[in-house]
Amino acid sequence: MLYGKIVRSPLAHARIVSIDTSEAEKAPGFKAVVVHKQPGTEVLFQGDEVVGIAADTEERSYDIARLVRVRYEALPHFANVEQAMAPNAPRVFAMGNTRDGNREETGDLEAGFKQAAHVVEQTYSTHVITHACLETHGTVCEWDGEKLTAWVSTQGVHASAQQYADGLKIPQANVRVITQYMGGGFGSKTNVGAEGLICARLAQQAKAPVKLMLDRKEEHLAVGNRPSATAHIRAGVSADGKLVAFDGQSWGTGGAGATSNFPLPYIYNFPNRRRTHKDVYINAGLQRAMRAPGHPQGCFLTEILMDELADRVRMDPVAFRVKNLPDKPPAQTWEDWREYFAIGAKAFGWDKRHQTGDAQSGPIKTGMGCATHRWGGGGRGSRAHVDITSDGGVVLKCGTQDLGTGTRTIVTMGVAETLGLPVTAVKAEIGDTLYPFSGASGGSTTAAGVMPAVRMTTGKALDALFAKVGPALSVDPNTLVATNGRIQVQGNPAKGMAWKDACKLIGTEPISVDGEWVDGLSGNGTSGVQFTECDVDIETGVVKIRRILTVQDCGMVVDKLLAESQVYGGIIGSLNFALFEDRILDRNTAQMVNPNMEWYLMAGMSDVPKIDIILVDSPAQRARGVIGIGEPPTVSTSAAIANAVRNATGATVRSLPLHPHKILQAIEQEKAGGTQ
Amino acid sequence: MKAFVYVNPTSEKDAVAALKTDGVAMPLGGGQDLLARMKDYVTQPDRIVNIKNALDTTITAAPDGGLKIGAAVKIVDLAANAQVRRLYPALLDAAGLVGTPQIRNQGTVGGNLNQRPRCWYFRNEEFVCFKKGGSRCFAVDGENQYHAIFGNEGPSHIVHPSSLAVPAVAYGARFRVVGPSGEREIAAAEYFTLPTLQNVLKENVLADDELLTHVILPPPGNVKTGHYEVRYKQSRDWPLAFTTVVLGMNGNTIRSARVVLGAVAPVPWRSEDAERALVGKPLNAETAAAAGEAAVKAAKPLSGNAYKIQITKAAVKRAVMRAAGLQTV
Repeated sequence: MLYGKIVRSPLAHARIVSIDTSEAEKAPGFKAVVVHKQPGTEVLFQGDEVVGIAADTEERSYDIARLVRVRYEALPHFANVEQAMAPNAPRVFAMGNTRDGNREETGDLEAGFKQAAHVVEQTYSTHVITHACLETHGTVCEWDGEKLTAWVSTQGVHASAQQYADGLKIPQANVRVITQYMGGGFGSKTNVGAEGLICARLAQQAKAPVKLMLDRKEEHLAVGNRPSATAHIRAGVSADGKLVAFDGQSWGTGGAGATSNFPLPYIYNFPNRRRTHKDVYINAGLQRAMRAPGHPQGCFLTEILMDELADRVRMDPVAFRVKNLPDKPPAQTWEDWREYFAIGAKAFGWDKRHQTGDAQSGPIKTGMGCATHRWGGGGRGSRAHVDITSDGGVVLKCGTQDLGTGTRTIVTMGVAETLGLPVTAVKAEIGDTLYPFSGASGGSTTAAGVMPAVRMTTGKALDALFAKVGPALSVDPNTLVATNGRIQVQGNPAKGMAWKDACKLIGTEPISVDGEWVDGLSGNGTSGVQFTECDVDIETGVVKIRRILTVQDCGMVVDKLLAESQVYGGIIGSLNFALFEDRILDRNTAQMVNPNMEWYLMAGMSDVPKIDIILVDSPAQRARGVIGIGEPPTVSTSAAIANAVRNATGATVRSLPLHPHKILQAIEQEKAGGTQ
Repeated sequence: MKAFVYVNPTSEKDAVAALKTDGVAMPLGGGQDLLARMKDYVTQPDRIVNIKNALDTTITAAPDGGLKIGAAVKIVDLAANAQVRRLYPALLDAAGLVGTPQIRNQGTVGGNLNQRPRCWYFRNEEFVCFKKGGSRCFAVDGENQYHAIFGNEGPSHIVHPSSLAVPAVAYGARFRVVGPSGEREIAAAEYFTLPTLQNVLKENVLADDELLTHVILPPPGNVKTGHYEVRYKQSRDWPLAFTTVVLGMNGNTIRSARVVLGAVAPVPWRSEDAERALVGKPLNAETAAAAGEAAVKAAKPLSGNAYKIQITKAAVKRAVMRAAGLQTV
């Protein structure tokens, strides 16, 4: 196997003048070269792909890549939205430096503000973070004649095959994509990307398999991020605590040409509202979907505002939120959602929350905050195949993939439970385009997509087995059930046989059935409420989270341990968004100064508090069917933390991350006359 | 990573000899710093000289009542040493806070003292700064939130990365250095250098063909000490600012004071302003607060790091409170 490496632009914006690969080609170990961007074309961000090379060892691939001589003509660039939005900014992007998005307007804004007893007008913002998957993006590509097999770190094997076929202009039937296990995607791995295509071309040229994995720096620079979001908001509340008006102008950057929109206002009912959004382009890597795209931004921007408004009318933040939830539910769980606030507040001890600003003496101030979130989830279209063989073997085949969420486990459980067998009796084969189609894992759609397909297909296979067992037992197959490793007449264990014996009736031709997702076993629409308590050291600006509690629904819980694991991961990710992660570009060169795991901060063990999860597992939720839970828990933690910091210090930090410099600054401003 | 020759000497003398080469030779301790720089193409030596089998790995009592610490002592061993705990508790605290358990298990005392700056401009090859032979410091008008607030005359505005250097200076340590022409001892306070256009490629006076072999600590005398580090993240993070204070006591009155600040200047930064605020005063919370205020009087922050003044103030106050045996928060 050979090793691929990509030569990337060190500059934020430049025209490629020339590419000279001659020295690289003479180097020991050189195997192949692919020019990805031709001279004359532009690179739009640091890390933009220019050339791929392959070498016989990974070490040599790094050294040989550096022998490729690319000459650039530097062009004007933007390192941040302020530069791109400056009135005299040069035109850097052919499509314009900004793009106006849709304008949304409901009700009568002027009339709304007339009803307002208090108006808050502030600017709120969130920053850019990268997906920072522990396993970087990468691929192994191997050609056999016209046929390509690609082992890809991807969230969608079938989608990847289509992208390879499109990108390489080969028939889709000639592409097989395999993803047995992968180490995190969070939305950044739904496209094989330039790195995937370069790897395939290198393998084709070298006539040997090529492995191309990005390093940490490339991962930060080039394969996705969560766009920034800023909004200037004017919002009004009536004397009795009803939201009456919202006027927001927002903008954000998804990098060199990508969008940045997000929901605003988030969740709460402003009957009279107007909102405009503008995409701003800067010379940085393009955004990709990131765990609940748009929601963490919209949630933070709105939820800080909510606490500011609640203070104006002297209402408890929970009561204020419940009072202003929309009349029409976004999902059938609406009534539950109001209840979640009550359940969570009680379990958390919200009644012990003090008013804004901890009055205790000493430098450590403690505070509580809350925030809420929603997500769609749901999924459809998955297919599956089940084989039952005469030796009692059961194999499920489904072209879904396991991102580390436990998809392999839940599909196995689904088959086993349907057949009344232990999970050890079922083999689940997933992550391969040879298996029936399943969609990419994005938007919390996997569980809801695959579980109905698994259930229906397995049920169909079981019916085929019943059809053989019924005559053998001289009973109507419709009276049979599969339970505890036996096929038996319902309620009559004596009238039955062991699974192994039943399968012996199958004979040489196995039971082999295909099935697919049907409506009715899955749903969509999830909601949750989160509470946090934190300590803020007002002499150093350092925040320490003490505990987090969430109430979260997700329809029918397939496996409690895995569902909770998703919630832990989502909450810790959001804690990182609130406190630590930050893609920092040098303001002058637009080159990233922290493309590593040293200065791109992420929580370690000591930074993660106790997290309590109240997973709603009621009969009503079970009746809704399976709904994914990947996205929702990562939406509101950061907003709840920011509100807890505000409650602790009495000072409002209106932008993430909550770095000590902002907290100290807000405390200073508060002392000097207020941040309200 | 550029290919290199690996040399594994087993004596001081052989190690010094191994540093002599036509190309660039560099000593290798735990490798946390050097190997990462090599992987990032920031540093490209032709020869690496492993010093872990060549230099002293022990901590021994000196006849005068002080301690002699070998440069090849692992930080984890320093942080667990009973004599260090008894005589130099601030050094013990600093050692225990270095990096992570893995880094402390791998890293050496010599490596910690001689590590290169963590400045993100220095660490990324795109930025050819003064420290890489270039002609500018990108931090001045760039992203300088973690850079210096003292000693900012330039040309470089790094903060010195060593946690052990700060208590070493505060305790009045001397460093033993060997080279081709023999050995010499240098006071820790003289070892680290403020940048000039002439010396900016280095952070200390150690010549390319010299090795730091020992940290020699004088007997501490009747002192009370305190060490306080402020980190944003509690797991694996560089301190935003930290301080060691060593107070010579006469009853409850402070007779003499050493206040050394870390992560705020290109060298371990001795704050004479804070020392003056302490000497002659009773050791109590009020004095601690006054020392904190005094410590930052002369700070000259860059465009984006004035917040470090408040953090430094808190670190000094709390280090003094620790010396006084008071609760810090």
